[in-house]
Amino acid sequence: MSATAAINSADTRAVTNEVLLAVENVTLRFGGVTAINGVSFDIRKGEIRAIIGPNGAGKTSMLNCINGFYHPQEGRITYKGETRQRMRPHVAASQGIARTFQNVALFNGMTTLDNIMTGRTLKMSANIFWQMLRLGPALADEIKHREYCEEIIDFLEIEAIRKTPVGRLPYGLQKRVELARALAMQPDLLLLDEPMAGMNLEEKQDMCRFIIDVNKTFGTTIALIEHDMGVVMDLSDRVVVLEYGRKIADGTPDEVKSDQKVIDAYLGVSH
Amino acid sequence: MLYRETGQFKTSYANDMVIFPIRQDRIGVYLLLGFAFIVLPLMMAFHVAPFRTDYFLLAILLPFLILSLAAIGVNILVGYCGQISLGSGAFMAIGAYMAYKFGTGISEIGLPPMPIVIAILLGGLSAAFFGVLFGLPSLRIKGLYLAVATLAAQFFFDWVFLRVKWFTNYAPSGSVSAPELKFFGYLIATPVEKYMVALSFLTLFALVAKNLVRGNIGRQWMAIRDMDIAAELMGIRPLVAKLSAFAVSSFIIGIAGALWAFLRLGTWEPLAFDINRSLELLFMVIIGGLGSILGSFLGAAFILMLPIFLTVLPAELGVPITTETVSHLQNVIFGAMICFILIKEPLGFARLWQIGKEKLRMWPFPY
Repeated sequence: MSATAAINSADTRAVTNEVLLAVENVTLRFGGVTAINGVSFDIRKGEIRAIIGPNGAGKTSMLNCINGFYHPQEGRITYKGETRQRMRPHVAASQGIARTFQNVALFNGMTTLDNIMTGRTLKMSANIFWQMLRLGPALADEIKHREYCEEIIDFLEIEAIRKTPVGRLPYGLQKRVELARALAMQPDLLLLDEPMAGMNLEEKQDMCRFIIDVNKTFGTTIALIEHDMGVVMDLSDRVVVLEYGRKIADGTPDEVKSDQKVIDAYLGVSH
Repeated sequence: MLYRETGQFKTSYANDMVIFPIRQDRIGVYLLLGFAFIVLPLMMAFHVAPFRTDYFLLAILLPFLILSLAAIGVNILVGYCGQISLGSGAFMAIGAYMAYKFGTGISEIGLPPMPIVIAILLGGLSAAFFGVLFGLPSLRIKGLYLAVATLAAQFFFDWVFLRVKWFTNYAPSGSVSAPELKFFGYLIATPVEKYMVALSFLTLFALVAKNLVRGNIGRQWMAIRDMDIAAELMGIRPLVAKLSAFAVSSFIIGIAGALWAFLRLGTWEPLAFDINRSLELLFMVIIGGLGSILGSFLGAAFILMLPIFLTVLPAELGVPITTETVSHLQNVIFGAMICFILIKEPLGFARLWQIGKEKLRMWPFPY
């Protein structure tokens, strides 16, 4: 489905009970350090799932396991009904898992447009000889995917910077371009690693709006790491809380908010 | 005042994605091509001003064209894909010697002498093959370590072409001469004809290189260069991206090597493609501008012209110094200028050119 069609179609959310991704008893160790210790949770199709926890809880490591960058020593990850032990990142990408990074990881030497076009890499099929000539299938590819990228550029309201090298952009816009790049992959599962970190209130509001819009219009399932509790509680359908690599709570925002363990983890306990 | 894009509207994405989206640039490039392909050969044929002797053509123009081509090859690898290579000289040598072997025929496997164009292309393909082979370490190591690994290629092939007699067709002197240069049945002998051959190759491969770097594969190269982890998580396979950069880059460098040997040198030894050549090519792309096709041309021109300029200048000014002092001074000034330029503009001449164009759009107003 093209982006425009998606935008014009249903404006209602389709949260289902179908499990898109299931993490079971995953344990990840770096030498003697256990970053994740027997964590299980699932992400349902169409929902916004938040992963929260204090610093060093293993949230980013969890995302890295999900998209194949780290290989957990124990446990299973089932995505779209398929269980896997080890997976290469590019395989995860081709199966529809996209992500953004805590510290912006854009391609600094390239323009906004080229960055977003890079997200279309896997969908382009013209071979290198056509690309040398930039005729036939190669040109058709470029134009077709440019159209898609332009729709995403419209969607995220970054028309004015499409030909600016991303290294020159302010931080808030860079975060937005990174989201655009991930969206260009037409992901089924979008992993956002602290999309709001370092933003001011207005930028945060914009970003929240975009996240909700993405979820609504494209039906993308979103897993989100965020430290701003207001954002987490408002956006997400369900929240999983990690602390020191263990899961301490899992449920709707309201359940999690009133969970004593979570309150202790965040506020500390007097000993 | 002439350089304005006002009123030039793009109505399709194809229009927006052309190499030179500004009309004035397009006209400029056509004029330049016309000048290079028609006016210059005519001037040479009639021995007008700078072409009274063949010196300008053979010592400046021809090397410029061929080394620009090699610099484009190096730029694809170093500038676009971010893999530092010190083996460019070796890949030029492979191109030269393999084109020679294919051009003179390989009797061991009953291969007759190939037409020269095919021999040159096969020389490029051989270089591409060894480029991929010596690019394999790039999958594990980065930066300076990779530079050292590619340095191994340089020394290895220096040795091979010096010691393995098969490559020189068992010539007792160790040096080889280019086969008869027959392009499509037309014998190339005069400097003007050599110039035209080099120019045609350069134009063709510059266009191919530009098409590649602005297409899908080029974006993959740049993604690997800028942030390899993010690139991998977006579905770009480092193996494919890096090795394709090594292949394309070595192919173009190999072709340049074959042209250098056949057109510029005629008779050559492995010394023509030693480590100095590799360094020279690397300097060209760094000074010209990493990640810019235009920069390859500017860098090649600078590195070639500056020594000549520095040699000629004292004599022209009538400064009474010996040739020996001149050559020493030349090294000093050359080094100093490279430092100066890199401090002033680390992104090279290509960036200066870009800034100049941006200023020209506003001229005579500052903004």
